[in-house]
Amino acid sequence: MKKTFTILFIIGLLVSLGFTQVQKPSDLKFPPLKYEPPDPKDFRTDFGNGLRGYIQEDNSLPLFNISAIVHFGSLYIPKDKLGLNSVMGDTLIKGGTKTREGSDIEDRINFIGGSLNFRVGDQTSTLSLSVLSEDMDEGLELFFDVLMNPEFRDAPLDLAKASLIQRLRQANDQPSGILNREYERLLYGEHPLTWQPTQATYEGITGADLKAAHAQYFFPRNIILAASGDFKKADLKAKINKAVSGWKNKKLSIPTFSKKFPQPEPGVYFIQMKINQGYISLGHLGLEETNPDYFAVQVMNFILGGGSFTSRITTKVRSDEGLSYNQGSRFRYIWGFPGTFSGYVQTKSSTVGYAISLILDEFNRIRREPVLEDEMETAINYYLESFSNSFESPQSTMSTFADLEMTGKPMDYYKTYRDKINAVTRAKVQEVANKYIHPDKCVIMIVGDFEPCNAGGDEWPGPLDKLGKVHTIKLRNPLTGEEQK
Amino acid sequence: MKRTLVLIFTLLVLASLAVSAEIQLDVKEHVLSNGLKILIVPKPGVPRVVCHIYYRVGSINERPGITGLAHLHEHMMFKGTKMMGVTDFAKDDALNKRIDELMDKIYREKFWRSDGGDNEKIAQWEKEYDELVKEEKQYIIKDDLWTQYMKNGATGLNASTGNESTGYYATLPSNKVELQMLLESDRMLNAYFREFYSEKDVVMEERRLSENRPGFFFNEQVNAAFFTATPYHWGVIGWMDDLRKVTKDDLIEFHDRFYVPNNAVAIYVGDLDPQNIIEMAEKYFGRVPKGPDLEPIRTYEPPQYSEKRMYGEGNAPTSLQMMFHTPPEGHPDDAPLSVLASVLGSGGGGGGRFRGGGGGSGRLYKILVQEKQLAVSVSARSRGMWYAGAFQFNANPRFDKNVKPEDLENEIWAEIEKIQKEGVTPEEIQQVKNRSRSMFIRSLSSSMGLARSLGRAELNRGWRSIITDLDDLKNVTNDDIKRVAAKYFVKDNSLTAIYTRKMGERQGRR
Repeated sequence: MKKTFTILFIIGLLVSLGFTQVQKPSDLKFPPLKYEPPDPKDFRTDFGNGLRGYIQEDNSLPLFNISAIVHFGSLYIPKDKLGLNSVMGDTLIKGGTKTREGSDIEDRINFIGGSLNFRVGDQTSTLSLSVLSEDMDEGLELFFDVLMNPEFRDAPLDLAKASLIQRLRQANDQPSGILNREYERLLYGEHPLTWQPTQATYEGITGADLKAAHAQYFFPRNIILAASGDFKKADLKAKINKAVSGWKNKKLSIPTFSKKFPQPEPGVYFIQMKINQGYISLGHLGLEETNPDYFAVQVMNFILGGGSFTSRITTKVRSDEGLSYNQGSRFRYIWGFPGTFSGYVQTKSSTVGYAISLILDEFNRIRREPVLEDEMETAINYYLESFSNSFESPQSTMSTFADLEMTGKPMDYYKTYRDKINAVTRAKVQEVANKYIHPDKCVIMIVGDFEPCNAGGDEWPGPLDKLGKVHTIKLRNPLTGEEQK
Repeated sequence: MKRTLVLIFTLLVLASLAVSAEIQLDVKEHVLSNGLKILIVPKPGVPRVVCHIYYRVGSINERPGITGLAHLHEHMMFKGTKMMGVTDFAKDDALNKRIDELMDKIYREKFWRSDGGDNEKIAQWEKEYDELVKEEKQYIIKDDLWTQYMKNGATGLNASTGNESTGYYATLPSNKVELQMLLESDRMLNAYFREFYSEKDVVMEERRLSENRPGFFFNEQVNAAFFTATPYHWGVIGWMDDLRKVTKDDLIEFHDRFYVPNNAVAIYVGDLDPQNIIEMAEKYFGRVPKGPDLEPIRTYEPPQYSEKRMYGEGNAPTSLQMMFHTPPEGHPDDAPLSVLASVLGSGGGGGGRFRGGGGGSGRLYKILVQEKQLAVSVSARSRGMWYAGAFQFNANPRFDKNVKPEDLENEIWAEIEKIQKEGVTPEEIQQVKNRSRSMFIRSLSSSMGLARSLGRAELNRGWRSIITDLDDLKNVTNDDIKRVAAKYFVKDNSLTAIYTRKMGERQGRR
């Protein structure tokens, strides 16, 4: 009896192995899966004094996370105080508050095994706290004290300035850092988007400057909270309301910015550095994230060079030719400004010209010919099928919603996202390729060793001026901001 | 109190104020008859599943001549199989064999002959190679595996090679886990290495990217000088010479030896049904035959017997590194060393799994950066690896105060001697215990991070070691700390590396 059963079991196993074994991915039939993204409305919470937030209860782990997103960033710093953003990034916590030394705050957070961080972006800044839920009350007290009452004491301020000045000395060490900075400087010209701090501007920053900037931008109506964790929403709301009850609002005044940018002469812009590869970016200004073409541009760029190994630039430059490890194309977005478009690659000096020519070929091809059905299917399916991934972490979902509201994007952005991706057609891809990629207007920036790059190799013998007039960019002394002799 | 997710907490309030938490992870285990272990962590919520597979193989399984092969092999695992990435396998295989024969001739001519070979002959063969490669293209479906994953919504798609393990990662919608089972079992069973020679070029470019990072060459030499006998002597990327000369045969031998189910663990974390995962694993991975047993690494690091010092100059920031040999992970001294690293260098992160860090409230930061203002940064880190360990101090001196790395070295030694005599304070030890507990809980919120910790731990001392390590930390006393400080922080067990920034011709104008 037992034996029969075993034999039957083995036969059953063989049947299941032998007859139902699929061979190819296309043979697989997946059960249907329906997913609806969370709706920001369900989490939106109004606090006292015009403070807003997105709150999600999540009792899966005994944790408490909260972030305050402040509408303040490096772009709003006047030219004679450049670097104030970095100094504030280093001292909002370490500089202490009216009633606490910074080191006491850090010691306490460390003792309870929490983390408290502050970072300043170009137009938004974020203070983030993460503690065990059993430490929520103490965490909240420290969080709001730092957010509302920073003191920027002299000793931590001097230390931060000395450390930032020392870091300035390294500004021309890394080829990738140089390339990113100089590429933007070329495309945006002299503009707050490209201003760099110097030793003198760092030295000129005082505690009073930091307090003034804090007073100007850190007030309830200019902040959106994001919180998640093991708490009761009503309880958290009451605690936050209590913490901010005396916090006064101000009138927000944000500087206005020119949106006129120079049109740099197309051609090669070379930065000399004695290394064994060329680090390359080629392109021009891009578009704003709020542009209705954004979705079509995403799909187009996925096919061109954004979709890693499924994209044309990676297939050609890396997989076919073995020229590089890292290559592709990207549209970078900046809130309120046109972003940048670039093809990028790092390759050994002798194949710099060749790699650039291959990327330019791909820029031209996606303008000239409609993309293939297969490429469209892969790109669109990727965006649709990976969509739910954006909502895996409750805290990052709350931050994403706070960010939507902060930057004035429609609150149904995620609700309508998949429909908008689905609506992109092959014709639309070709249309936006022609509208937003202009090979004839490209600047080609190279950080590398000129002689071997210019000599080229068998597949693409130099000189580099076959790609356009070669301009030489001299790096500035990062300490003074002046051109190096 | 019971958590709905992965964690069951039992809080034991002790007589003192100290709170000890017994943490249990709800991991379901299943072992296939071929030895492949499956770990499953259900995590209801967003309908996605993190699917990782780790192999017990890394750069420590290489030898001189094939350094960098574990990583190159990881790249080659994306080049298809007998089924994937090819339209007509028989024709492709025939061409591929001709390519390999030709490249074998080229390598013998180029690399075996002391004069570098006959250039004319080589050029002729390289031309033939180019033609064969061109011909083969008609049968290749480019990056097929990657495309299949992408169009099914895979995120976190990647692979990585370390000293000890290699992982292959995809996060899929929860209805598509079967795709990963099919693709991963297929490449365990049927890997086929086409486009090998162009991929070697890609990896050499990857090495060049590292080389162009200031300080890379110096650090590579520091590592090689510190680890002399164990295979930690070379980096995961390998030496350039080996990348140039490694052959297809080396690759196949390496694959057949290490890519067997009894040398791997597959992990699934997310919105899943464990029974369903086990059934699929039986169906797909179950078809892969078991391989021979694999012997662990033979060579441990011998005692150093004398102090080592290295000096270098270049365009990276001036720095001090002090390294001390310590035992491999799992040794009883590992926990006190980890606590000590955290006490000395914690607060700024960067130390990995509760093993130290830089900045914030660490003792060295307070003394050297804040009080004495001699350094811009300082960190301490205890790195227990599978077959060796290192306790490492890193510091950058204040340029504006004309501090030398040697000044920081003296300061760190003074602090070490103090700890050897007095140990650390009860508050410092308690802080590390609190931090390790909360960091562990926080690490559970990332499915990807959890899969990674479980996978790597499973391959060495079993996944439960991530919990027992935490328990070991709880039991560390000040006497343990004094003892390990006395035992390991001795000059004959150390390497001190001093690097001085010097702006040379690298930034000279053309």
